[in-house]
Amino acid sequence: MTHAALAETGFVERTYVDCIRQAQQRLLREDDRVVIFGEDVGAFGGAFKATLGLQEEFGADRVFDTPISESAIIGSAIGMATQGLRPIIEMQFLDFMNTALHQLINNAATIHFRTGNAVPMTVRAPCGGGFGGGPFHSEELETIFCHVPGLKVVYPAFPCDARGLLVSAVEDPNPVVYLENKYLYRHVKESLSDDFEPVPIGVARVCRRGSDATIITYGAMVHESLAAADVLAAEERQVMVVDLRTLKPYDHDTIIAAVSATNRVLVVHEAWRCCGFGAEIAAGIAERGFHLLDAPIMRVAAPDIPIPFAPTLESVYRPSAGTIVEALRELIEY
Amino acid sequence: MPDCPSFARDLNQIPRNQWLAIYRTMCRARLTEQRMIRLYHQGKIFGGVYTGFGHEAIGAGTAHAGGADDLFTPCIRDLTVHLARGLSVLDVFRQFLARATGPTRGRDGNVHYGRLDQGVYAMISHLGAMISVAIGGVMVRRRQGLDAVAMAYVGDGATSTGDFHEAVNYASVFDVPLLVVIENNKFAYSTPNSQQYRCKDLIDRAPGYGIEGVKVDGNDAVAVYLKVLEIVKEMRQTPRPVLLECDTLRIRGHGEHDDAGYIPEALKAEYAARDPLDNMRRSLTDGEIATDQDLETIDSECQKEIDDGYRQALAEPMPDPATLLDGVYAE
Repeated sequence: MTHAALAETGFVERTYVDCIRQAQQRLLREDDRVVIFGEDVGAFGGAFKATLGLQEEFGADRVFDTPISESAIIGSAIGMATQGLRPIIEMQFLDFMNTALHQLINNAATIHFRTGNAVPMTVRAPCGGGFGGGPFHSEELETIFCHVPGLKVVYPAFPCDARGLLVSAVEDPNPVVYLENKYLYRHVKESLSDDFEPVPIGVARVCRRGSDATIITYGAMVHESLAAADVLAAEERQVMVVDLRTLKPYDHDTIIAAVSATNRVLVVHEAWRCCGFGAEIAAGIAERGFHLLDAPIMRVAAPDIPIPFAPTLESVYRPSAGTIVEALRELIEY
Repeated sequence: MPDCPSFARDLNQIPRNQWLAIYRTMCRARLTEQRMIRLYHQGKIFGGVYTGFGHEAIGAGTAHAGGADDLFTPCIRDLTVHLARGLSVLDVFRQFLARATGPTRGRDGNVHYGRLDQGVYAMISHLGAMISVAIGGVMVRRRQGLDAVAMAYVGDGATSTGDFHEAVNYASVFDVPLLVVIENNKFAYSTPNSQQYRCKDLIDRAPGYGIEGVKVDGNDAVAVYLKVLEIVKEMRQTPRPVLLECDTLRIRGHGEHDDAGYIPEALKAEYAARDPLDNMRRSLTDGEIATDQDLETIDSECQKEIDDGYRQALAEPMPDPATLLDGVYAE
């Protein structure tokens, strides 16, 4: 269907980054407490244009640029959140947040436990590789945030979830790390209406049904996994794909139900293998679903090396449909 | 009035009760911490005891110059700020004794507390980290149309952190009404200032941020209070950050586990002779604000509050182990 024809049906083709922008626009419109700030998010519209036009529409009081000061950005968001605002802060690249982890891990995440005061703030963090970003613009550090009590972590893979989860993150009374995959920004599109419902935090989604094996994944790897499932389908192997959507608190029940349907499970993520979030998923399945397994839990993840730059290296560094297909064949034939 | 000393003229600008309130805050803090030290050495406190001995004039002089809507991020040696903002001595004992009834319900210890309903944030141990929290908080109060200011407290050591730099620059860029109170007690744990920075005074950095810096005698509550009153009055009209460097010396160790043997005896003697409580008593009696007897009455009232507070806190329960997992997330 053409774009114009779609529009007549009330649906338009929206990219992942469009949806992030749309959710922020709606939040700014509907909730006076919402402010957005960070590096280059004002008139410039953000390094990835996720805040394009928002300063123009809502004014520099509500959408504004800051100095390059990640710690002060997170710290001032804590101050605002505890005084009644609902700040959304953009960390230009997730990698840059490492200079300010204490503000998130030691400060924001502990405040409710220590003092009973809520800290409703959302940290948007563009992450992931696949575009030649090299070691400092491609990191996948979700495991760090998932390790920390007091934080919630969401990671949408589709445009509809990108907007629905962002609304839920801002409405949540806790600090939420909202991971957005840079590769997906403009690679993934969906035909969506203007109206949308929030997507609840903590609920996974089965993207594809199957009976031969189950993939548990999230982020950009959902799309690689779906492509791999297509390849296997041509060989008459049906692969179930579960998109976690929320990493903390994660949806253990959906995982166990999906494992029980196939008895074989592959965990896939773009992040490093050692202590990656897949290790938690695998351990959780082993603890609660050991009796369901007909094969060892397998993982596809990035090797434990800094993220390489050259396309010939990055393309083999980053998990892909091809590597997932290989792992699935091994898993199914075990 | 050549026969009237300058401090007496200064004192008379301010209602008598305000001076007595400042003295009372200092006295409550000193006597509370004396009791904490005793309890520490008796093994009745969990974890460490970190006191503000010698710093009382700074917290009391600054916090009493604040108004109801102002926000504070006190640091390790600022019990006076909590007390000036309305915290009870009972709550302080509950905190140090890990009571379920305390400000952190036994979830955090010693100096890591603060009641937001009193405009006071609970510090984390990462020095300098709270300055930007104060910034965000007061930015909100300004959006609400209040003429609030924030006071963020740091030591000389924290001025070496990246957080200090980020926050002061950030406050300057956004014209945030923020008083950064630098309690320069000359040692960051055991490290002397000569190994911490090479400017003459820490306020020498203020022009680099495009802001004003003011230095005061941090052992003179009258001087601190009058100076902060003046700064804050201007700041309410014209929001902007100011660095306030308060010269003082930590009279005891970093914590009670530390005998502070690295502080030269002569320096200790010099500052012991200028103890902030003695200074304040002298100012109040010489300025005919209070008699020795008035001050003794305050002292004994404070002591009673401390004795009662300690006894009550001791009788209250620690958190129930069954509540271990509670409160990590807001509902």
